[in-house]
Amino acid sequence: MNSMIIGKYVPGDSLIHRLDPRTKLLLMFIYVFIVFLANNEWAYGVLTFFTCALLFLSRIPFSFMIKGLKPVLWVIVFTFLLHVLLTKDGDVVFQWIGIEVYDKAIQQGAFISLRFLLLIVVTTLVTLTTTPIEVTDGMESLLSPLKKWNVPVHELALMMSISLRFIPTLMEETEKIMKAQMARGVDFSSGSLSERMKAMTALLVPLFISAFKRAEELAVAMEVRGYRGGNGRTKWRELTWRRMDTAFMLLLGLLAVLLWLLRS
Amino acid sequence: MRAKDLTFIAMFASLMAIGANITSWAPFLVIGGVPITLQTFFCVLAGAILGAKRGAMAMTVYTLIGLFGAPVFARFSGGFSMVTAPTFGFILSFILAAYVTGLLIEKSTNRSIARFITATIVGMIINYVVGTNWMYMAFKLWAEAPEGFSYTMAWSWMLVPLPKDIILSIVAGVIAPRIYRALNEQQTYNKYVA
Repeated sequence: MNSMIIGKYVPGDSLIHRLDPRTKLLLMFIYVFIVFLANNEWAYGVLTFFTCALLFLSRIPFSFMIKGLKPVLWVIVFTFLLHVLLTKDGDVVFQWIGIEVYDKAIQQGAFISLRFLLLIVVTTLVTLTTTPIEVTDGMESLLSPLKKWNVPVHELALMMSISLRFIPTLMEETEKIMKAQMARGVDFSSGSLSERMKAMTALLVPLFISAFKRAEELAVAMEVRGYRGGNGRTKWRELTWRRMDTAFMLLLGLLAVLLWLLRS
Repeated sequence: MRAKDLTFIAMFASLMAIGANITSWAPFLVIGGVPITLQTFFCVLAGAILGAKRGAMAMTVYTLIGLFGAPVFARFSGGFSMVTAPTFGFILSFILAAYVTGLLIEKSTNRSIARFITATIVGMIINYVVGTNWMYMAFKLWAEAPEGFSYTMAWSWMLVPLPKDIILSIVAGVIAPRIYRALNEQQTYNKYVA
């Protein structure tokens, strides 16, 4: 269950792993937008090549990628089917018990599903090569200009770190409470709806109380150690922007221009 | 923001992450082999227990850690690609739903059970309205859904999980004051000890 705190991170020392988390975050944000520029075979070809190159550079085993894709695979399949079944344009390719499939529908469906696939592969890649803590640090640094408008950027980043830290702890706690209640005769896996709701209450109320107790203790510990917000606070993990990061951003700009030129 | 607000908001974001997938290892709500998510339930509780502002903040933290790669959304999904998922509107609506639920309870003078239940139901309705409209928009705009896809079609999909969320919202309204009271007693106790 510790997978929660490190996300789906796959440890490694590839080029992509060593990039600054800020670079990877920017790559992800920009990529999500430029994917929508592609609207013909050539543009999709370039995008697919770029995405495969990233995948190759990251040296992430293919099986990990597949595992990361699984939860969203249904979106891709569903989008494809929606297009194939509902678009009525072009020539009929085949007919079967009253369902007609048109060639334009297959093309359109394939493009849109490929778009989703590429998006998911790149964002999953960032997730697989960066720990959530690194991402949190990167976000704090990228959003720090917003502090001028009183957006609590530092506090948000800190809360995210605390939250990530306590997810595994609360999972263990849930299991412990579950066993304790089962020992008292609560049945979690059968019974009528109202019995199940009672079982749920028996699990959740103690879970909430213990979580809040932890929160209270943590707050006291922070105050005792003199926590007083982000001003003047030094960092344990420092981010460094290298030449490789600049090179990556330029490459991404180039890709955007290329896609714009290939548009039809 | 005081240290205590910070830790309570963070802890509720963790609780929400647990709630999204709790049924996959505590099988009290599995329908047809599919573990049912308790996100809506935990979201309205965030508003009811922490209050409008802090509840909405907790949901924001939850959304952010999910977007940044922790597998905290339903079915252990996570990562920035969720932004393009048609169901992302439901995740976004948690922030507003927690806020409104919290506000309805804060504004009431008598904190009766009925008031709590109304607030949690309103929160759930916001979750559905925003989420379903977003889903429709997502299919229309970036999945480029063809002509045959209609607004009614989007809503008809949402009728399936609706009954369980109505029941869960009522349960949330019933247990929220209990947790609330337990929490306050604990705090007065702590003050007394201090």
